[in-house]
Amino acid sequence: MSQATVARPASRTDAKSKATGATLYTADFDHSGALHVALVRSDVPCGRIVSVERTAAEAVPGVVGVLVAADLPEALCGRRVRDMPLIARHVVRYAGERVAVVVGESRAAAESAASLVEVDIAELPGVFDPLDALEEAAPALHDAPWSYPGAVVTEGMHPNLQSLVEAGDRDATAQRLSESAFSVEATYTIPSTKQGYLEPQAWLAVPGPDGSVRLRGTTKSPYRLREQISTCLGLAPGELEVEPTPLGGDFGGKGAPGDAPLCVALARRFHRPVRLVLRSAEDLTATDARHPARVTVRVGCDSEGRLTAMSFDAVFAGGAYAAHKPGATVNLHGAVEAALGYKLPVWSTRSRVAYTNTVPKGHMRAPGATASVFAIESAIDELARSAGIDPAALRAANLLGDGDRDAYGHRWEQARGVQTLEAALNAPALVTVPAGWSAGTGLAVYCRPTAASSTSLRLTAGPDGSFVVEVPIPETGTGNHTVVRELLAEALGVSPTRVEVRQVATSLLPGDPGVGGSRVTVGMAVAVAELARRWAAGDGEGPVELESKASYPPVLSFAAQIARVAVDPETGQVKVLELLSAVDVARVVNPVAHQLQIDGGAVMGFGSAVMEDALEQDGLVWAANLAELKLPCAADVPRLTTVLVEGGRGIGEADVKSVGELTNVAVPAAVANAVADAVGVRVRDLPVSAEKVWHGLNALEAGRVTR
Amino acid sequence: MRLHLTLNGSLVDLDEDPTTTLLEWLRARGMTGTKEGCAIGVCGACTVLVDSRPVSACLTLMGTLGSSTVVTVEGIAETEPALIDAFVGCEAMQCGICTPGHVMAAAAAKLAGIGSRADVDSEIRKWLDGNLCRCTGYETIVAAVRTYVER
Repeated sequence: MSQATVARPASRTDAKSKATGATLYTADFDHSGALHVALVRSDVPCGRIVSVERTAAEAVPGVVGVLVAADLPEALCGRRVRDMPLIARHVVRYAGERVAVVVGESRAAAESAASLVEVDIAELPGVFDPLDALEEAAPALHDAPWSYPGAVVTEGMHPNLQSLVEAGDRDATAQRLSESAFSVEATYTIPSTKQGYLEPQAWLAVPGPDGSVRLRGTTKSPYRLREQISTCLGLAPGELEVEPTPLGGDFGGKGAPGDAPLCVALARRFHRPVRLVLRSAEDLTATDARHPARVTVRVGCDSEGRLTAMSFDAVFAGGAYAAHKPGATVNLHGAVEAALGYKLPVWSTRSRVAYTNTVPKGHMRAPGATASVFAIESAIDELARSAGIDPAALRAANLLGDGDRDAYGHRWEQARGVQTLEAALNAPALVTVPAGWSAGTGLAVYCRPTAASSTSLRLTAGPDGSFVVEVPIPETGTGNHTVVRELLAEALGVSPTRVEVRQVATSLLPGDPGVGGSRVTVGMAVAVAELARRWAAGDGEGPVELESKASYPPVLSFAAQIARVAVDPETGQVKVLELLSAVDVARVVNPVAHQLQIDGGAVMGFGSAVMEDALEQDGLVWAANLAELKLPCAADVPRLTTVLVEGGRGIGEADVKSVGELTNVAVPAAVANAVADAVGVRVRDLPVSAEKVWHGLNALEAGRVTR
Repeated sequence: MRLHLTLNGSLVDLDEDPTTTLLEWLRARGMTGTKEGCAIGVCGACTVLVDSRPVSACLTLMGTLGSSTVVTVEGIAETEPALIDAFVGCEAMQCGICTPGHVMAAAAAKLAGIGSRADVDSEIRKWLDGNLCRCTGYETIVAAVRTYVER
């Protein structure tokens, strides 16, 4: 059936229920009869627990129990490395760590009792900077981190190492760099920040009479969470059911198990429903935040502007536990794949993640890439300026094109780095610079590989020729349910209004790895096509169930972004006037949802570029509420321009590329490069604040640095 | 404390602890369209109308309400279908947790006469500076509010 015969729906599956407030998020579900949980947290980042005095808290009317680690299973939890206890046992490793839990008949009773628990902790010296943590004499956070299930480190390595990934040839790279006509070396830093979702993490665990538990909560990965909790608590298959629930924002922050294992353990202990809804301040100071990073890049080129070599060395502060990282390397893919979009004859990379006495860090939209791209795209700009080459021309000479091989040796069909860059450069500037301000233009590029994910679906006939498709993932806001509805309607040749998308609990479908990695639209497109084929071959009644394990080679997506800024030469204030995003696309399934991902990504990148910093210092998070952690509001947002670079080839017959983690990544480098273009000040530490630019202007004027 | 509210068009006489927040009170009545986000009056997810003005329900104590008129997203959805249609038609949401707050801010913008001002988009962006959205980049939200206030 051709697309032309399928009416496009005007709206998302969830638009009306969200606009009217009818959509139920975890905190909105009926919890009558539930016990409420409040957490008692460490206020120091490192120490030994001397005592926990519970008497006053236990006396609060409505309090049912005050528990410490000894009252609960000695269980460790994590996405891959299981190193995080339900409640701190003997020692605390970060400020915000759970040291006791209060269970009460109301949230108010539990919270007020929690404030009466007296915790005596003998503070010990902690390590906060990842380089300090990896010094030989640094105090070790864990006695034997290599012994944790899932650990990728081995005995003999530094005990504060969570992960080390090295590749390439360091000696050859150093040699080539020393011989290059031009080279630069610089170190770049990005701070921790939060994903910035507005719905704090929340859980509702309801026990059955047989000890089983039904859990709903703020997870984007119901099946993985079920597995993680079951492993942690020793539950038999079938003892835990996870209900996908709409998320009030994710951006990578809702893939970690968080407090869910504790809530399930409490529901089993008290034989009553257990509810925990974090306060925003707790969410911001004690849950999985972005890894802060320090990245040193050395990059060189010849006199023609061809890159000769690059060395990349990143170190991330991983926080007190490695539990929130899901990848097989326990590293961050954006660092492990650094500079993927360029042709590089010789290179070396190293990415280290250290245990630090800070909040255990997790994923945030394009994890690792936000650090590596800021560093590399800034360094390439610095290289071009030092070589007297136009930064755009230098990139054009080195970005991957059709059939080129990346540094890691992989040959890419249909790589469109150069086309995407050209599309950005060809777009006209749509803004004017205020009088008295210095104008600057900055460019940065991100290249991301994406593969299709596995998933599972079930299709049944509904009344009057309609269809019901059951999906294993919640709507996280990206429009994933809408995409499934539209793709399926198209494949079945019916109007999208005839397809109902229903999220179902974890016992009802075979599995799914969860939302993430920009793989959902791609994976769903592949699965839906196969599901429709099987339906057509069946009896027309269904149900037809599909476990999609389709494996396709990944494809690259490029985003080339231009920031046009104005800088006040007196104060250093930076106004970002326009962000232009040229985005490499194949078939676009839903143009509005696609554009929302581009715009939302660009604005998140803008926040990272000029506003956001969790202000983590000596193990304490000072941006402890949304008045301190500045997120962009409508009035802050610059003019957003998008150029879709059409004609790309996507994955498989579905022919789609990813977009969700493309446009937030390069913006900070584009802005920093634009500021350098405007006033000659190079800011290598995010965010690009007026203060940093002002100090840079003064240094220039005093002749301490040169443009 | 005795209160005589008008809630979404209905008179409600009640005896309530004056230190209960309007947000807690609404949600305890099952009116969960009003969300708790930041809980300090910054994010706007709990925006409701009190006597036609947008307020953060998380910072509004019941004891300050006296005989006020309170309108929540559940009420506006009944009385202002054109507002809901504007948000649906412009696809002015992704995760949706901020959407009821934005809807209520838009309702207040219309009551304040924003639609008749010069440079409506800029006025709307200033008006919405008390409502955060982390997903959309605001473009479709501004479009939805413009569609509604210019009607």
